[in-house]
Amino acid sequence: MAQMLVKLNVNGIEREVLVDPDDRLLDVLRDEFGYKSVKEGCGTGDCGLCTVLMDGKPVLSCVIPAFQAKNHKITTLEGLNNDPLMKKIQEQFRAHQAAQCGFCTPAMEIIGWHLLSRKKGASKQEIKEAISGTLCRCTGYYDIIDAIYDAGRPE
Amino acid sequence: MNAQTAEEFLMEIQKKAERGELLYIGKELRRIDDLEKVLGSPIYTNDLIPRNTLYARLVLSRYPHAIIKNISVSKALNYPGVRYVLTYKDVPGLNESSTIIPDRPLFAFNKVRSTGDIVAAVIAEKPNRAQEAKELVEVEYEPLKPVFDPIEAMKPDAPKIHDDGNIVKHVKVRKGDIEKGFQEADYIIENTFRTQHQDAAPMETETAFAVPRGEKILIIGSMQTPHHVQAAVAKVLGWPIDRVEVIQAVTGGAFGPKSDEPPYDVASIAALGAIKTGKPVLMSMTREESMIAHTKRHPAIITHKTGVKANGKLTASKVQIVLDGGAYASLGVLVIVRATFHANGPYEIPNVWNDGYKVYTNNTYTGSFRGFGAPQAIFAAESQMDEIAKKLNMDPLDLRLINMLRPGSRTSTGQLMDESCGLPECLDAVVKASDYRKKKELYSKQDGKIRRGIGIAMLHHGNALGPEGNDYAYVHLSVEKNGKVHLGTGLTEFGTGAISGLAQIAASVLGVPIDYFTIDRPNTLIHHETGPTVASRVIAIGGNAARDAALKLKQKLLPVASKLINCKVEDVQIVDGYVYCKGKEHKTISWEELVKEAYEANIELNTLGYYMAPSCKWDEETGLGSPYNQYTFGAAIAEVEVDTETGLYKVLNYYVAFDVGRAINPKSVRGQIYGGTVQGLGYAMMEELVHKEGYVVNPNLKDYYIPTSLDIPEQIQTIIIEKQGSMGPFGAKIVAEPPVVLPAPAIRNAIMDAIGKGINSLPITSEKVYKAIKS
Amino acid sequence: MEQPLLNRSEIVVLQPSSLKESLKLLNENPDAEIIANASDLWPRIRNGEVKPKKLLDISGLAGELSYVKKDENLIKIGALVTVSQLEGESILKEKRFSGFKDVIAKFGSPQIRNVATIGGNVCAASSSEDFIPLLLAFNAKVKLSSVDGERYVNLEKFIIGKRKINRRPNEILTEISFEDPGEGYSSAFEKIGRRNTLIINIVNMAVVGKVKDGKIEDVRIAANRIKGKIPERAKNTEEFLKGKALNEETIAGAKKVLSEEVSLTDDFRASAEYRKALLLAMLERLLFKLRGEQ
Repeated sequence: MAQMLVKLNVNGIEREVLVDPDDRLLDVLRDEFGYKSVKEGCGTGDCGLCTVLMDGKPVLSCVIPAFQAKNHKITTLEGLNNDPLMKKIQEQFRAHQAAQCGFCTPAMEIIGWHLLSRKKGASKQEIKEAISGTLCRCTGYYDIIDAIYDAGRPE
Repeated sequence: MNAQTAEEFLMEIQKKAERGELLYIGKELRRIDDLEKVLGSPIYTNDLIPRNTLYARLVLSRYPHAIIKNISVSKALNYPGVRYVLTYKDVPGLNESSTIIPDRPLFAFNKVRSTGDIVAAVIAEKPNRAQEAKELVEVEYEPLKPVFDPIEAMKPDAPKIHDDGNIVKHVKVRKGDIEKGFQEADYIIENTFRTQHQDAAPMETETAFAVPRGEKILIIGSMQTPHHVQAAVAKVLGWPIDRVEVIQAVTGGAFGPKSDEPPYDVASIAALGAIKTGKPVLMSMTREESMIAHTKRHPAIITHKTGVKANGKLTASKVQIVLDGGAYASLGVLVIVRATFHANGPYEIPNVWNDGYKVYTNNTYTGSFRGFGAPQAIFAAESQMDEIAKKLNMDPLDLRLINMLRPGSRTSTGQLMDESCGLPECLDAVVKASDYRKKKELYSKQDGKIRRGIGIAMLHHGNALGPEGNDYAYVHLSVEKNGKVHLGTGLTEFGTGAISGLAQIAASVLGVPIDYFTIDRPNTLIHHETGPTVASRVIAIGGNAARDAALKLKQKLLPVASKLINCKVEDVQIVDGYVYCKGKEHKTISWEELVKEAYEANIELNTLGYYMAPSCKWDEETGLGSPYNQYTFGAAIAEVEVDTETGLYKVLNYYVAFDVGRAINPKSVRGQIYGGTVQGLGYAMMEELVHKEGYVVNPNLKDYYIPTSLDIPEQIQTIIIEKQGSMGPFGAKIVAEPPVVLPAPAIRNAIMDAIGKGINSLPITSEKVYKAIKS
Repeated sequence: MEQPLLNRSEIVVLQPSSLKESLKLLNENPDAEIIANASDLWPRIRNGEVKPKKLLDISGLAGELSYVKKDENLIKIGALVTVSQLEGESILKEKRFSGFKDVIAKFGSPQIRNVATIGGNVCAASSSEDFIPLLLAFNAKVKLSSVDGERYVNLEKFIIGKRKINRRPNEILTEISFEDPGEGYSSAFEKIGRRNTLIINIVNMAVVGKVKDGKIEDVRIAANRIKGKIPERAKNTEEFLKGKALNEETIAGAKKVLSEEVSLTDDFRASAEYRKALLLAMLERLLFKLRGEQ
C-alpha cells in the first residue's frame, strides 16, 4: 500500500504528513516534526520513555500507529517548555539533580506535569504511581520523586 | 550588590577567602550540563542524525556454536529499500572488535561462538526495511557441540571455543600458609554461591552514526571512551587513526558495557556502512539487539572455605571464583582481577588462597559493568560471613567487628590500611541509624506468618584502575576573552555528574564560580587520549588533572593581577570571581577584567593539566602487594519483611554509609548511592537475563525486570563519611560503583535473619525464598 | 500456502468510522487483523511475530463502543472502553465490583491503561491478560457483531487456546456483558509477578461470590492458568465451596481441591510448584476478602 496522508495536531500545530502503515507515532514526532524529546528506550511499550500526551493523557508513542494519531491532540515536552508549571518542574529537576543521564527526563517531566496539573500538591505515593510505568536506570527514582513533589508544593 | 552594603560584601569575600580553595568543594552545586536535558533538547546520538541517514540492523547468529559454511546476502540486497549488507568480506582492515585479547571478530567469518555474534548488518533507507530484510540474509551453519556451564568448560575435554582452551585468565592470591590457617581453626565452613547474568540496560542503547568525509570519517556516538572507539574503528578500516574523528554525544546511561566492546561494534558498522554507501549510517541497537549482543555482568560460581576460631577470629579463607565469560574475553580479563582481589571481603585474614578464572562458554559474552567483579565477590564473601556467624551462634555484627579492616590492618593481598580506612565509621553509622541491635533482638522473637529480618553487608573497593591499567588523565582549560572557562577532556559524562565535579574542582582552584564554565564535547581530534572513563575514576584521577590545569592557569594569571592591582604576587587573591590584594579588600577588580588584561598582555590562557597515579605494585604470582592506591569503604543494613507462606518479601528500609574521602558534591554523591543501590536492588531481587542453551530468553524490558518506582524502599538513608584518601583531589575517593554491590548481600542476610535459611544464588526471587522455607 | 507479508509498509489499513462500515469492510476483507488501540498487537506486528496483510482499525469507533451501562440486570461494557475509563465508571465502584479496581490497579502501566481496551484484553486471549479471569468469574459473555447479525458467546467458550478465539473472520467483538450479581455479592482480584508493577503475572486469580451469615452462598473462581495455558474457572473448587461455612476448615479443604484441580507448567518466570503455592495462598486471601476482611 502506498503511504497514507495523516493530519496530525502536535503541540498546537496542525500538519499533514505522509506515513507508512508501519510507522509509529514516535517516528513521526521525531522524524517529521523534529520533536526529539520523545525517546525510544525499548520500542515495545515496556519502558515509558516515549510518553507523550494524547488528548491530555499520557500514552506510549511507540505502540501507537502513526495513522491512529489522526483526530487526536498530541503534546510533547517541546510543547510545554513555556508552560509555567513545566518550568517549575524543570527547575526542580535541576535543583534535585534528577536528570542524570537525562534520557528518561522528558517522559518523567511530562508525567509529573500531567499529575500536578490535575492535582496540585500530589503526594509522593501518587507520584510513585504516576511514574511507575517509566523506567529510570540512573537515579533510583528518589530525586525524580522529590523534584516532582517539590514542584507541586506552594512556593 | 543592591541588597548588601559594601562592607557586608567585603566580609563575605573575606570569609570565602579564608576557606580558600575549598570554596566550591563539598557544595551541592547544580550540574552544569543539565539544562538541555530538562528541556528535552536534541543532544543524544539518535537526535543528531542528518536527514538522508541510512539505518543498520544486525543479523545475529542463529546458533550458540557453529561453523559458518556460507553467507548469501543477495536476497536481502534486492529487498526494497536495502542499500547494502555488510559481512566480514567488507572489512578492509582487521576484522576485529576487541579490547584486550584479540579474540572477537567484528563480523563472524569462520564460526560463531554465541547467539550474540554479529554475522551481518543490513543497511536500508528505513529501519523497518532493514529489520525485515534480516530475514533474507541466508547463512548456512554446521552446528558444533556447545558448552554453557563454565565448570564444564574448564575440563580438558570440553568443546574448545577458541584455539587455546577455555580458561582465558587465572588470577591468584597466595597469602600466609593456608593449610596452617585451616589447622588453627575451630570450625571450617564451606559454601557455594551463584550469581546471574545482569544486563546494564542503559535507557539509551548502544548507538553511533558515521558521516563519510572524503578521506576521513566522522563518528558521533554514545560511549564512555571515544579514543578507544577511534582506535577500534581505525583498525577495522585499516586507516591511520587521525582519519577517524569520534565525538561522544550526550550519552543516555552507560554503566560499563559502553566502555567495553559494544561501542566498537556500532561505530565500526556505522563507519563501514557509511564508506560503502557514501551516506551517513546510523547503527542504533534495538533493545533486543542490545540485550543479546552487548556485554553483561558475568555470572559467577564462587566457593568459599573459611577457617574460624570459636572466638570469631578468621584464620583462613580459600576462595574459588569461576566467571562465565561467554564467548569472548572483553574487559572480563580485568573483571576477574578485581573479583579475585576483593574475594575475601573487607577483612583481615592471615592466610588466604584465592583462584579466579574467567572462562569461555557459548553463552553471550560478559564484561565491564558497574562494580566490575565486586558485586559477585562481595555477595559471596558477605553471605559467607553470615553463614559463619550462624555456625558460631554469633551476631553477624560482632563477627564483622572482630575481623573488619581498620587502620593498621592488612588486606588479603597484604596491603596496609592507613588512616583513611573509614570502614569502622561506616559500620558504626549504619548500625546506629538502623537501631540494629534493638531490631535484631526484636526480630529474633517473631513467630507469625509475616516475619522481619535485618542484615548487614560491607565492602572495600580498590579505587580507580589499579591493576587494570595506567591511571592517567588530561584535562584542558582555556579561558576566553570574556572570562568564560572551557573545560575539555577525553573523559566523558554519561550521567554521574562527575564532569561537573571536575569543573567544581577547577573553579575552586581558580576562584571563579562554576557558572563561568562550559564543558566541551569530548572529541578525539581536539582532546588528548586520556585513558578510559571507567572504574569511577573521573573525580579521583581526572580531578587531579583538573586541579593541575587550574593551578597552571592561576600561575599565569597571578603575575598579571599583581601588576594590574599593584600587589605582591603572593598576596593576590581570586575569590568567587573577584580579584584583590590581601589587606586591600576594598579595592577589587573582576575576573573578567583580569582576563582581559591577560589577553592584552599576550598571556595565553590555555593549560593542559595532567595526572598520573602512582603505579600500583603487586606480585603477579601471589597477588601480594598494593594493587590499589586507596580504597572506598561502605556498609549497608537492609530490613526485610517476608511472607513465609508465599516467600514474597519487601525491603522496608535500607541504610547505607560510604567513606568517599571527600564528597566534592554531596548531592551528586547521594545521587550515585541512590541509583547504584536501586540497580543493586534489582540485581538482588529480580534482574536476570535468562540463558537457555545459549539463547537469551528475555531480551526485552517486559521480562527483564528493572526495578520500577513501586519496587524501591520507602527511603534509602545515606550517610557520607569522609576519611580523606591519599590520591584523589582534596582526599576524594571513588563513589559511583560501590553502591551497586551492597544490596544483594544485605538483603540476602536480612532474609536469612527472618527465615533462618540463607539463599545462596541471585536473584533472590520469592520462589527461592518459598523453597528455602519449605525445605 | 500463501507467503506471509514481509514488507510491513505494504500493509493495507482500513479505517472505518462507524460500526456499520466496519462490519461491511470486514465482511469484504475477512483476512484483516482487527486493531483497536493496538497496544498489544502493534509491537507484535512490528517485530514480525504477526504478519497481517490488512488491518482493520476500529479505534475510530470509540464513540460507539466506549460505553459502560446497566441495561435491565446486565452490565454492558463496550469493547473499546479503555482501562482508564473503567476506573472512572461509577457503576463499577459498588462493592460487588471491587475486583475491577483490583485489576485496574495492577494493569500494565498508567500509560498503557490510557489506551488498552477491555475488548483488546479479551481478544489477546493469553494468560497474561489480567481482565480475563475477572470477567470469567463474572460469567461474562461477549457480543460478536457481523453483517449477518449478532451472537453472544460465553467468554469461557470464546477463548479456546493461547491467542486463539472463537471469532468468525467477519465478526468484531463489540461488547462484553455480565449479569449484575446483585447486593450481597463481592469480588476481588489478586496478581503476583516478579515486580510490583509493569509486569506479566506469575499467577492471578479472581473471585466473585456471596457470603451470608458466614456461609458461602455462591462463588465463582477463575485464574490465569488452571489446566492449560489460558485463563479458566476452577469449577471443582467452586463446587466444593458452595454452601459451606467460610472458615479455616473449608478453606483448607478448598485448597486441597484446587491443588488437585490445577495442572500448571514451568517457565522462566516461575515453576509450576510455586505457581500452585501462590494460587493456594491467593485463594485463601480472596475468599476472606469476600467476607470483607483483608
